[in-house]
This record gives sequence, structure tokens and C-alpha cells, in this order.
Amino acid sequence: MKADQFNHITDQELLQRFYADHDNEWLGVLLQRYTLLLLGVSMKYLKNEEEAKDSVQQIFLKVIQELQKYKVEYFKSWLYMVAKNHCLMRIREKQGKITAEISDRLAAKPEEESDRLTLLQNDHTLDLMEAALKELNPEQQQCVTLFYLQKKSYQEVGDETGYSMLQVKSYIQNGKRNLKILIEKKSAEEMNRK
Amino acid sequence: MPANYKDILSHLSTEIDQETLLLYLQGKLSEDKKHEVEKHILQDDFEDDAVDGLQEFKDKEQLQYMVEMLNRDLKKKTAKKKKLREKMKYKDQPWLYISLLILILLIVISYIVIHRMLKG
Repeated sequence: MKADQFNHITDQELLQRFYADHDNEWLGVLLQRYTLLLLGVSMKYLKNEEEAKDSVQQIFLKVIQELQKYKVEYFKSWLYMVAKNHCLMRIREKQGKITAEISDRLAAKPEEESDRLTLLQNDHTLDLMEAALKELNPEQQQCVTLFYLQKKSYQEVGDETGYSMLQVKSYIQNGKRNLKILIEKKSAEEMNRK
Repeated sequence: MPANYKDILSHLSTEIDQETLLLYLQGKLSEDKKHEVEKHILQDDFEDDAVDGLQEFKDKEQLQYMVEMLNRDLKKKTAKKKKLREKMKYKDQPWLYISLLILILLIVISYIVIHRMLKG
């Protein structure tokens, strides 16, 4: 089976095919889509290239075993949870502590789109955002504006502001989160006034 | 009203394939493309964690090779199970063995009959 020939098939369809005929090759095709991401997550937690590679192989095995036992609905979020759990176990084992795996096969459903879309469809939300943007601290305001409104890359934002790439990323992430909180707060205040 | 405001709340960008992500990590994308990848990564915790980790690899050019090796190993693991199951399938089909046995018996009987007729 060549992985490329299944590019048009979604993760969910590949899982369905596996559940239908229990052919592990479907899981092979599916997991190959995430090898690079699993390598990255393992490296982030384990901080060692060789350990990260071993970790990916162990996660593959774990996924193949677990999927024989039960059905998974949201594969990507479930896989992320399996990968994180595995890395945390490895870290705890290294630290010599007694470990207990957090078992939660009902991985979180990806963030609900409907709420977001309702927000987006509402022009008033965009007015609120314009106001909320002004309330962010100067660093966050500057980075969010350059990144989202002027469509610059982290590198360009960093060059323009003098912040490091890590700082830029952090200001954008925190700025985005604070914006959402501010918009929700402003909406709630308006509702109360009415 | 800048339409780009919507990007801050939007969560509808398409998936980024491994090849594009590798080019991003190797610094081989244009600034526009970089921005697209970064915007996508910010919306996905899995990818965000992964990119943080991948940035820590000393030689980014080696990443593709590592992925290929891991995929090759994965392919072996998933293919082996299939062969085993195919072998098991034969065990689950006794009629195949019975048919073969009947065929061999028929050949032996035919041989004996023809042999006797020729003698007679």
C-alpha cells in the first residue's frame, strides 16, 4: 500500500476501513500522516533526539494496540493525547516516580466551530474586537496587529519589533486569548445593560 | 473594518501537509507562506507543540530522513500482522484441505484402476 494513493481519504474514513476489515495497513497509512508531528511532540517533552525517535515507535505500537480494543471518534485529538501521555510517563519513569497513566480514550472534541462562526457572522463582534485590541498591552497589540492584520511572519514581526521569535509567538498567543476574553466580557456587559 | 479581524477568531484553515511543514522548519518558504503556516499552527495545539519540539532538532535537513525511517519501520509492523492474519485465514478454511485430500485420493484411485486395467 502506498500512502500517497490515499491522500484523498480522510482520517475518519481510514479508521472506518480499519474497523471494517481489521487490516493494520490502514493504520499504517493513517499514522504516517502524523509521524513528523509525533516526532516533534516527543522531542518537545523528552529533549533528546534518540529518545524522541524511540518514543514515536512506541506511540505507533500503543495506537495499533489500543485501536484494536475500542473505537476512536476524533483521531487527531486522541493521538495527541496518547502522545502527550506517553511522553509524560517516560519523564516520570526517568524521575523514578510511581506513575499512573491518565486513561481517557474519549479525547476532547475539536473546538466547536458553530460558536466561532456565530461570532464571526456578527459584525458587531468585529467592532468589539477593534475596541478590545486597543486594550491589549502594547507588546501584544503590536504583535497581533503585525501578524493578523498585516499578515507578517514571526520572523518579520521579530525584525520589526526587536523581539525574539519565542517572544513574538508568546505575545500573539496571549494576545489572541486576551482578545477573546475581552470580547466575551464586552458582549456580556452589553447584554446586561439591555 | 479590516476583514483580517476575522482571522483572529477563525478556525477554518486547511490542514498543512508534512512536506510544507518540513520546508517551513528548514526556512525554505516565502514570508507569505510562513505566515500561513504560523497562522495555522496557532490554531492547533498538537501542531504547535510539535513545531516547538521540531525546532529543537539540530539538523533540520535530517528530519525528512528520520521520518522516512520511522515510516519504514511502521510499514513493517503493520504488514507483518497482515501476513500473519492471512496465514490464520487458511487455518480457518478446512474445506480447502478436505478438497485437496479428495483430489489426491482420486488421483491415487485412478492410478490403481488404470494400472489394473492395463495388467488385465
